[in-house]
Amino acid sequence: MSYIEVNDLKKTFTVRKKRTKGQLFREKQKIEALKGVSFSVEKGELVGYIGPNGAGKSTTVKILSGILTPDGGEALVDGRVPWLERREYVKHVGVVFGQRSQLWWDVPIIDSFSLLKDIYRLSKPDYEDRLKELTQALQLEELMRTPLRLLSLGQRMRAELCGSLLHRPKLLFLDEPTIGLDAVSKLALRDFLKWENKEHGTTIMLTTHDMEDIAALCSRVMVLGHGQKLFDGKLPDLLERFDTVRTVSVKYDKEGIMPELPQGLDVSGDENGLRITYSPADFPTARLLTALQAAGNISEMTLQPENIDTLIAAMYKEMDL
Amino acid sequence: MRAYLSVFRMRLRMETQYRGAMIGGILCQMFFGLVLVALYRALYAGKPQALPIEHVTTYVWLQQAFFRMLLSSDPDLLDKIRSGNISYDMCRPVNMYWFYYARIAAQKMMGSLMRGIPMLILAFLLPKGWGLMLPASVPGLVMAVIALALGLLCICALENITMGFTMLTLDPRGMQGVLNLLMITFSGNLLPLTLFPDSWQRVITALPYAQLLDAPIRLYTGEYDVAYAPGIIGLQAGWTAVLVAFGMWMWSTNRKRMIVQGG
Repeated sequence: MSYIEVNDLKKTFTVRKKRTKGQLFREKQKIEALKGVSFSVEKGELVGYIGPNGAGKSTTVKILSGILTPDGGEALVDGRVPWLERREYVKHVGVVFGQRSQLWWDVPIIDSFSLLKDIYRLSKPDYEDRLKELTQALQLEELMRTPLRLLSLGQRMRAELCGSLLHRPKLLFLDEPTIGLDAVSKLALRDFLKWENKEHGTTIMLTTHDMEDIAALCSRVMVLGHGQKLFDGKLPDLLERFDTVRTVSVKYDKEGIMPELPQGLDVSGDENGLRITYSPADFPTARLLTALQAAGNISEMTLQPENIDTLIAAMYKEMDL
Repeated sequence: MRAYLSVFRMRLRMETQYRGAMIGGILCQMFFGLVLVALYRALYAGKPQALPIEHVTTYVWLQQAFFRMLLSSDPDLLDKIRSGNISYDMCRPVNMYWFYYARIAAQKMMGSLMRGIPMLILAFLLPKGWGLMLPASVPGLVMAVIALALGLLCICALENITMGFTMLTLDPRGMQGVLNLLMITFSGNLLPLTLFPDSWQRVITALPYAQLLDAPIRLYTGEYDVAYAPGIIGLQAGWTAVLVAFGMWMWSTNRKRMIVQGG
């Protein structure tokens, strides 16, 4: 039995459409946010959950964190059904919604934390130990007495994360935690999540649109689209299926050198050198390099795989999302 | 229990931060009080009524002093429901109804005490026939304070029902408008309930709205004899229990059909 067992989970929302002329009542439209999703997650796993906007990622997170009741299917987390035993269940679950805030706007963040301590009935020494550990890891010590409204987005997200982890959850859901963060904050956040996962064995499920998050953190990735699971496995395996082109940039020591290349390659050139896009399946890299070297002395050369976002976009397109 | 007390304390402290709003509120309520008192004095100058004018002015001042208890919704709570930030409160190991009840109670209590106490002192200093009179008796005052506390519990239950409606409609204004109209009419804020015809009063005083401020005020002025206090307090407690039960039912059904919009 896995730590999280989800079986054929379904959720439908009813949306009322805008009334058109001559219509007495608004038409109702059913939107299937989840059309039967199944997966299982082991304890201590760090799983990425991706998919385009509206795929059903947040709905899954909301169901598994006890907020929403599904219309059908089963979910068992650590032997509990989230929506049936909500109060008991959520004691061991932490959630971070990247676009929402759990801390009080007008008061210093330490006061919000101390309220959380009472909500989760943490003992004083336990709370203080954990708070110290988290504030150090998240570099929050200086900010504890500052009201939330005075913090920058990056600082706020660190504070939110601290709030969600105070009660030492065994399972952490992160719904777009890096949204709007700058590069430094993103890297710090990723390091912290890795540390928390390793140090405490916290199972983490992360939804994001930032593929770098997934690449840096997740050993496993699930792709959701139109309310269905489309892929479940390792990120490199996912990319391999769509990663079909490479780009080589070369610069020769003399200008105007044009290597002899076979037809069908996309070649463009400017004062910075040549850019050649090719598919390794059709044209082995070694042969291309030999051809390039034969033409003259190479002063600079880089070989790039396709950009990860481009790959994901291609994948969504192929899966018709 | 700890969680509810903690959120209560937190909201109390937050309320004390809004001093500007407090001063504005006092000025506004003093102005309304004076206008209403002048109005009733003009009425009495034309045709004296059976009820002494001191009772009417005392009624007006007590109503104005505790105005904040009746008509004020926590903007943060409404905002949480509208924006979906309520999701965070839903994944806490607490009973949502009581968690919000505690917040509302703190806001209403602190908000009205901060404005009410200075106002009552000011009103007490006004000349006779304009201001606040002393309570009819010491037991009457004690009973009035108990009744006021129960009135607070009752109004918080009503407010949580308004919150429940807000979850359904997502816009508090419509339902709040209707409920507030009932509130200012039947709580005695618009016109002291003592001035309604007797036959009307028999019905109105049995409604929950009369339990909020009207009952405590009448115990204060001595219009309700202290001997009837247990019955009055019983009625207040009964309404509070009914409204809490209804609110809890509403919240638990809401939770099952809840949709949190937007990402």
